[in-house]
Amino acid sequence: MTATRDLPDLTAREVGLLPGIAGAGIGPRGGGPPGVHRSGRRLWAAAAAAAVAWSLWSAGVGRDELVNPGGWALVGRFFAAALAPELSADFLGTTLRATLTTVAFAVLGTALSVAAGLVGGVLTSETWWRRTQPGRRRLRPGWVVSRASCGVPRGIHEAVWGLFLVNVLGRDPLVGILAIAIPFGAITAKVYAELIDESARQPFDALRATGTGRVAALGYAVLPVALPDMMSYAFYRLECSLRSAVILGLIGAGGLGAELGLAFQGLAYGRMWTLVYALVAVSALADVWGSSLRRRGTLGRVRLSLLGGTALVVASWVHLRPDLGRLFGAPARRLLVGLATSAWPPALPADGWGGLARRALETVQMSLLAIALASALAVVVAFLATRGGATRPRRAVAGAARLVLLATRAVPPPVWALLFLFVLFPGPLPGALALGAYNFGILGRLMAEVVENLDPRPERSLRALGAPNLSAFAYATVPLATSRFAAYSLYRWEVAARETVVVGVVGAGGLGRLLEQQRAAFNYPGMLATVLTLVAVSVAVDLASASARRSLR
Amino acid sequence: MPEVIVSLRGVSVVYDGHPALHGFDLEVQAGERLALVGPSGAGKTTVLQLCTGAATATTGTVTVLGTELATAPAARLKSVRRRVGAIHQQLHLVGPLRVVHNVNAGHLGTWSRTRALRSLVRPVGLDEARSALGRVGIADKLLERTDRLSGGEQQRVALARVLVQAPELILADEPVSSLDPARAEEVLDLLREVVVGRSRTLVVSLHDFDLARRRCDRVVGLRAGRVAFDLPAGEVSDQHGHDLYRIAT
Repeated sequence: MTATRDLPDLTAREVGLLPGIAGAGIGPRGGGPPGVHRSGRRLWAAAAAAAVAWSLWSAGVGRDELVNPGGWALVGRFFAAALAPELSADFLGTTLRATLTTVAFAVLGTALSVAAGLVGGVLTSETWWRRTQPGRRRLRPGWVVSRASCGVPRGIHEAVWGLFLVNVLGRDPLVGILAIAIPFGAITAKVYAELIDESARQPFDALRATGTGRVAALGYAVLPVALPDMMSYAFYRLECSLRSAVILGLIGAGGLGAELGLAFQGLAYGRMWTLVYALVAVSALADVWGSSLRRRGTLGRVRLSLLGGTALVVASWVHLRPDLGRLFGAPARRLLVGLATSAWPPALPADGWGGLARRALETVQMSLLAIALASALAVVVAFLATRGGATRPRRAVAGAARLVLLATRAVPPPVWALLFLFVLFPGPLPGALALGAYNFGILGRLMAEVVENLDPRPERSLRALGAPNLSAFAYATVPLATSRFAAYSLYRWEVAARETVVVGVVGAGGLGRLLEQQRAAFNYPGMLATVLTLVAVSVAVDLASASARRSLR
Repeated sequence: MPEVIVSLRGVSVVYDGHPALHGFDLEVQAGERLALVGPSGAGKTTVLQLCTGAATATTGTVTVLGTELATAPAARLKSVRRRVGAIHQQLHLVGPLRVVHNVNAGHLGTWSRTRALRSLVRPVGLDEARSALGRVGIADKLLERTDRLSGGEQQRVALARVLVQAPELILADEPVSSLDPARAEEVLDLLREVVVGRSRTLVVSLHDFDLARRRCDRVVGLRAGRVAFDLPAGEVSDQHGHDLYRIAT
C-alpha cells in the first residue's frame, strides 16, 4: 500500500462507507434475502423526501412572505464587488497578516489533532484491545470505553468549544488551537483506528505471539504500513482546519474570519472579496499540496512534506505565541470551577421544554434543507468538475466548476447567512441556505473525486459495443456513483447538523440562535442546557444517518 | 467459400518501444470457434484488442467484418462495434444495477437514448432478457441486484448480455481464468452453445491448453508476439503445448 491512494477512500472511512465499496470489481456477496436491501433503501428515500418537504413547510416556503425585495440592491452590490476587490497597499498588508494568523491556527490545530489522533487511534483500535489468547470475548472491555469517550468531543462544534474554552482560558490563541484540535482529534482518531485495524493482522499477531509488547508490535508491524494513508488524511484535515479557523476568527480568534466579519458589517464588499480571494488561494494551496502527495507520494516528497510541515508548525507557534502556562495555571482551574458551579444545574429557556424541543426541531430542519440543497447542486456540478476531460472546452468547464466549488466553501457559513439575510427575513430558511451553499462546495468536491475514482471499465465496455455517451453514462457511471453520493450526503448531514450553531449565531434560528442569546445574557445554566440539547440532536442525527448508510451497503 | 470475419495481415504492435506483436497474420472464418493460447505476455490480449479497436496496429492492416478499422469513418466503425460482442475477465458489470439492466445493456448500441433512459425506470424487453437468462440457466435472477449474485452467476449475466446483443463475432479474453476447473468447462460449454446456436464466430483467449483443445475447433499458439502454431484442435499434440509454455532459453 502506498501514498497514492486518493482522497475518497480516506474520507469514505470517515463516512463508514468503505466495506460496501472495497475493491474495483463487484465480487459476490453473501447474506441477506434478496429484495430486503432494496426495500430498505426505498423506505429511506421516501423518509428523506418526506422530511425535506416537512422542513420546507415548517420554514414557511409557499405560505409566508419570505423575501425582502429591498435587499436585492445590496446583493447586487455585493457580487459586483467581486470584480473590484480592494487592493490598496494598506489593506493588502492587513489581509496578509490576517491570512498568516488563520493559517497558523489551522496548522497548529491540525498538528495537535493529528498527534491526538495517533494516540487516540491506537487506543480506540480493535487491534490494540484484541486478546491474543482465545477467550470468552474477542475484545477487552477497554475498547468500548475508549470508543465511547470519543463521541462527545466529536459531537460538539468547534465554535461551541471555542465559546467554552474562552471562558476557562481567557483570550489567548490557545483557545482557537484547542477548539480545532479537540473535535478534529476525535475524528482523526476514529479514522486512524480504522486504518490500523485494516492493516494486515498476521505480522502484528506473529510479533505478539513471540512475546513482543503491544507498542513495539504496533511500531514494527502496523504503523509503517498505515503511515502514508495517515499522512494523506492529515492534509485533508488541514483544509478542514483552515475553514474552521476562519469560523473561529469570526467569533473572536482574529485572522481572516475577524476581518471578514468587520468588512461585511461595514458593508465594505471590496475588502470582503479581497479576503475571500486570499482564503481561496490558501485553501487551493493546501489542496494542491495534499493531492500532489496523494497522487505521486514518492518517499522524497513525503520526507519533504514532513520537513515542511514541521517548519510550518514551528513558524505558526512563533507567530501566535500561545501561552501554555494558562492550561495548568490556577486561574484556569478557578474559572473552570466557577463556570461549572454557575452553570450547574442546567436551566430550561423561558419557554420551557416546549421551546427547547421546538428549536431542536428547527435545527434538524435547517440541516435537512441545507443538505438537500447542497446535494442536489453538488450532484450536477460534480460531474462537470471531474478532471481529465478529453477536450479543451470540457477541461475549461471542469476548471471553472472546481473554482466555483472552492469559492463557495471558502466563504464561511455565517457570512453566507448574512448575505442571505439581505433578501430573506430572519428565520431558519436563510440559515439553511447558508449552510447549503457552504456544504455544496465541500460535497461537490468530494463527489467529483468519487466520479474520478470510479471504475471506468464498465462505461468503456458499453461504449465499445456502440452505446451513445448518454446511455453508457446512465447504465454504468450513474448507478455506480449513486450510493456513494448518498453516503457522502448523509455524512455531511451530520456535519451540517453541528454547523447549524454557527449560522444561529447571526440570527438564523434554531438552537444556535438561542445559545447566542443566552451567551449575551451570561445565562450559563441556560447555555449548558442548550449545549446538552445540541449534543443530543447531533447524536440522534448521527444514529439516523448511520442506519440510513447501512442500507446503502 | 466461407466468409472471412477477422483478418490480421502483417500486424505489428509496439507499446512504448516494447513490441507486443511481430508481423502477425490471422484469418478467422465465419462459424469458427478459435482459441488463442500461450504464456502470459505472448500477445493474446493484444490480438483481441486489435479486433475491438481498443488497440491499433503500428504496421499492417486489421479488417473486422469486412471493414478496415484504421481507415474506416466513425459511423462505419460504430456499426462494426455493434456487431462485435466482448466478454472480459472482470466482466465489467455494474454492481448496483438489477440484472435485467445489465443484460439490456447489450441493446445500448442500437437503442435510442430515450429508450435506454426509459428502460432504467421501467424495464423494456423483459421477455427477451428473461429468455437470455434462461439459456444460461439463471432466469430467476432477473430482478436481483447484480452484486448480490455469486461469481459464477455474474459470469452468466455477462453471457446473457452478449446473447441479447446478438453480435456476429464474440471475443472473450480469459473468460474462465478466475473459475475452478468444473465451472470453467461449464462456462465454455455455454459459450459454445451460444455460438453454435446462432452460427456465429468465437475467438477466445485461454490459459488452459487442454481446455482449448477440448472445447474449440481451432487452436492458435502464440509465443513472444508470433504465431507458434495454427492447427485444428484434433491435430494439436501435447508436445505443442510443452514447446509453447517452455521457459525461453
